[in-house]
Amino acid sequence: MKKQVLPALIGIVVALLAGLLILWAQGYPPLESYAALFSYSLFSKFAFFSTLDKATPLILTGLSAAVGFGSNCVNLGQPGQFLIGAMAVTAFGIAVDLPAGLMIPLSILVALVAGACWSGIAAGLRRRFKMDEFITTLMLNFIADYFTLYLISGPMLDKRMYSPLTPMTNPGAWLPIWNGFGSAFLVAVAAFAVVSVLWNRSKIGYEWRAMGQNPIFSRTGGCRNDAAYVWAMLLSGALAGLAGGLMIMGGMQHRFVKGIGANYAWDGVMIAIVANNNMIATGLYALFFSVIQTGSMGMELETSVPSEFSLVLQAIVVLFVVASRESTRVLINNITAELRMRRARGRDKGMGDGRHASNG
Amino acid sequence: MHLMVEMIRSSILSATPVLLAGLGGAYTFHANVFNIAMEGMMLIGAFTAVAGSYFSGSWIMGVLSGIAGGLVAALIFAIFVVSLKTDEFVTGTALNMLALGGTTYSLRQLFHVKGAFMSHAIQSMPRWNIPLISRIPHLGPILSGHPFIVYASILLAFVVEWHIFGTRYGLRLRAVGEDARAVDSVGVSSDRIKAQAIIASGVLCGLAGAYLSLGYVTLFSENMSNGRGWIALAVIILTRGRPMGLLLMSLVFGLFDGLGLSLQGTIIPPQFTQMVPYIATIVALYFYSREKRSARGGKETPTT
Repeated sequence: MKKQVLPALIGIVVALLAGLLILWAQGYPPLESYAALFSYSLFSKFAFFSTLDKATPLILTGLSAAVGFGSNCVNLGQPGQFLIGAMAVTAFGIAVDLPAGLMIPLSILVALVAGACWSGIAAGLRRRFKMDEFITTLMLNFIADYFTLYLISGPMLDKRMYSPLTPMTNPGAWLPIWNGFGSAFLVAVAAFAVVSVLWNRSKIGYEWRAMGQNPIFSRTGGCRNDAAYVWAMLLSGALAGLAGGLMIMGGMQHRFVKGIGANYAWDGVMIAIVANNNMIATGLYALFFSVIQTGSMGMELETSVPSEFSLVLQAIVVLFVVASRESTRVLINNITAELRMRRARGRDKGMGDGRHASNG
Repeated sequence: MHLMVEMIRSSILSATPVLLAGLGGAYTFHANVFNIAMEGMMLIGAFTAVAGSYFSGSWIMGVLSGIAGGLVAALIFAIFVVSLKTDEFVTGTALNMLALGGTTYSLRQLFHVKGAFMSHAIQSMPRWNIPLISRIPHLGPILSGHPFIVYASILLAFVVEWHIFGTRYGLRLRAVGEDARAVDSVGVSSDRIKAQAIIASGVLCGLAGAYLSLGYVTLFSENMSNGRGWIALAVIILTRGRPMGLLLMSLVFGLFDGLGLSLQGTIIPPQFTQMVPYIATIVALYFYSREKRSARGGKETPTT
């Protein structure tokens, strides 16, 4: 973990500098823009709470991708699982009307199960027919996208509205907002805690991590790879589904609107990638990304940089952090190789037998 | 009959971007580079093509800048993957995000619109009417009157087949894919060949993007590649990177796409007809893995 902190910091700093350059090159005031970016995401109660709100889906999609990638399941189906989770919670919230004490836990369960079902299709196809999950999950994204679009513009359309969206769910399924603080964030934190413990401290978590490092080793070592694979896929899907479900349960909207998934799922994939599938780093990067996304609105307001700049900045952060991580590793390997070679040479000279270490 | 003609015609049109990107990806496939970035390269190409055509007023400049856009994306990918030795999957995914974010941002920055950009100032590719053939009933409308890239891409499939399987360069390319260190050991730089393969894929994906935004339609909209790069990746895996197979398979996918289009306006909701190409990909993958399993004699292999 400590070895990862330095390259990550270098990567973030270099990426922010690159962003600064891009802003400067386009004639925006770079420092004022960055000041707005951070003041509109951190330095007031309202700003901070909206950052936490934005972080809620990002933490969950990030965890979803980290669990998948970390155990060697290439689940790229977070967008689809997110939408299916959100749609299931909407349908449940419209059809069922119970007191909040029952409704909220049940809705969370529905979101988890719906997401897990959608990733379960890909897991089943892989287990049964050996079909690569990275293609099937990608294709299932488009299917989920069109399917939910069909539901909100046909059977579940709110007839009083002029754009494709569903009616509101029953108020029992709404997560409370306390003084501007959305309690959906607490659900994400709880999920984070559970997944972290599962990942780092449980038997199946060990199997996932072993499988992520080297599936052949884990199989030889007696891990039940097949079962662990299916569970990792299901958990990954469930987390993405929960991210979608919380979009309906939290906030103010409480209905499924076209485009509700935005970019949350892909952001989660990127978060897991920069975090190198480490759970704590996933949480931290989710917060960092939500700072960028929330602050970009302020940046647009103050220095009229289009808020889409956050998308560019995020991708640059990912590229630079990954590059700095990999190149420091290559650099460290080279240095240790060099040292070892020198030591070997010193020994050769001492023995005086004239052998030469090659300069590979 | 008219419906059939219309369907085959539209299937050729929608097969072209998958074929072009697939031919590009064939290079990286044989060099053993996992090129998940094709989606992003295509999207960047589509954007730069529209920008080039809009600002210069010529479709040739549009196509060239589309290629340039794909080339720049490929250069980024090559620098990271080949020089800095980053993970291909990770870098490719990040590049896809950069493409999505970058084009959305530039759409707003350059043209001050959100969502989609349409203008009469965008020059689209000319359509070619082939003399004689265009007059044949039924066959004429199918084969004639397409943007010229459609014909170029079919020709290109043969060229790429020859280049990868018939030349010394192609042999080296495939050798890099088999064992990069063996190639290095005989004095040929495998890194260099890998980088060239990535660049080739970038150029062809850029061309595919240019076709999307200047040939298939004349506009740019956010995320307009809409998974075609991923379908191309699936098609490459299904055909094991054989350009002739790519030609055939992309036509099959075009047919499903066309089927989806022609089912519109019937009783089936349009959202379901739009799913058809994606479902077809899953089904094709099913047949592919069944064939692969039976080729291995049904022997169980480690799944993960």
